[in-house]
Amino acid sequence: MKWLINLWQTLNKPAKYLTLGSISLTAFVMGIIFWGGFNTALQATNTEEFCISCHSMESKPYQELQKTVHWSNHSGVRATCPDCHVPHSWGRKIARKMEASSDVWGWFFQTVNTSEKFESKRLEMATREWGRFDRDDSLACKNCHNYDSMKWEDMSKLAQKQMKRAAEKDQSCVDCHKGIAHTLPDMGTARAPELIAEVGTGPSKFNDGQTYFTALTKPLFFSAKGDVEAGTLNVATKVNVLESKGSRVKVAIKGWRKKIGAGRVIYFDFGINMLTAQLSKEAVKTEGVIKGFEEKEDDMTGLKWQRVETELWTDAEYLITEQQPLWDYARDTFRTSCSVCHTQPDEAHFDANTWPGMFQGMIAFVNMDQDTQALVQKYLQQHSSTFVKKEH
Amino acid sequence: MTAKQTDKENNEKTKRKELKALGFIIVVLFPILSVFAIGGYGLIIWLMQVFGGASPH
Repeated sequence: MKWLINLWQTLNKPAKYLTLGSISLTAFVMGIIFWGGFNTALQATNTEEFCISCHSMESKPYQELQKTVHWSNHSGVRATCPDCHVPHSWGRKIARKMEASSDVWGWFFQTVNTSEKFESKRLEMATREWGRFDRDDSLACKNCHNYDSMKWEDMSKLAQKQMKRAAEKDQSCVDCHKGIAHTLPDMGTARAPELIAEVGTGPSKFNDGQTYFTALTKPLFFSAKGDVEAGTLNVATKVNVLESKGSRVKVAIKGWRKKIGAGRVIYFDFGINMLTAQLSKEAVKTEGVIKGFEEKEDDMTGLKWQRVETELWTDAEYLITEQQPLWDYARDTFRTSCSVCHTQPDEAHFDANTWPGMFQGMIAFVNMDQDTQALVQKYLQQHSSTFVKKEH
Repeated sequence: MTAKQTDKENNEKTKRKELKALGFIIVVLFPILSVFAIGGYGLIIWLMQVFGGASPH
């Protein structure tokens, strides 16, 4: 403490022995050295060699990049790590450097030092990168790529149409071009973390006789304890909880099935291809699992349908009390995912039996996990012209 | 004679103090403060991007 007071006393009065010239000269020279040093350090941490000096960066993203056009191409231009991952303007670069402090954290605690750890975190890390590209409209891409410099006539008709539309809005490149420099995260197996964050995992206690809705596609079981699966229960399906036992609940499922083959698929209603549940062969064969009622013939297809009811067990989770949050999430996902490449059609533009084909035809162009896919498809069917009467 | 000597000693002391203070400020304190200031500036831009969407360049 004493030295601090001493220091302040010295600093607080005019220098007695050091001349003004020597003080200002040393200050000036040190200023130059500091700034030069700072920028050299900034430059040094902005090179590919620096990035791949970490094993986790060298072994995964760097190897993946080498298989892409950003690594080698007929014009001989290469994009290195900082070209895409660090903004070029000074202020944003500093901001990015601060953001990268979490990378140092990850390096220190070895959060992605093995292939398995890297893969399990890939979606999270990719989402973060996409988030930044979203925020600045893919500025990093646009440092090299420019809508104005695109040679439209060399593009296919379809590419022209899509690119011109994107150029008009100065759209962010990664809206469509994801996974072009590194492997895409496996979106198909992750169980809709964003959806669950939105709608919740459901209540911890269930009231017998009350109606619930599935928040994910869920396995069905024959009994309260056994591991034998009797099929799957589709997402956003209405079920009636009959009783709770341990970590399972018994649910009543109602619907219609086609009288062809084993009739394992239960649909929402007569003549409507909206999935409610898919039962296993064993479940259909087992006496008493499916209760059949009246039959009707569909004039459109000539198929016979039968009204059915079944009672099976499922895990007491991801059953929520309201359906609307599911539809809200599905609507937002439908609007954002589909409008990226084209104007999305009105939900009521197609009927419930046309939507699945339409939807499945487009699904390859977007990154949607299976639960979200199933949910959005069901949303579209439920809000199609079959149920919503609207003039066109 | 003795008074002159103490004077000289005092002068030497003050000179050393001043040099030390200058050295401390120039080599340690101001560089650290500068790095913190730049870091803080970066942090503010980053937070603005995260919470505000758009950001100044």
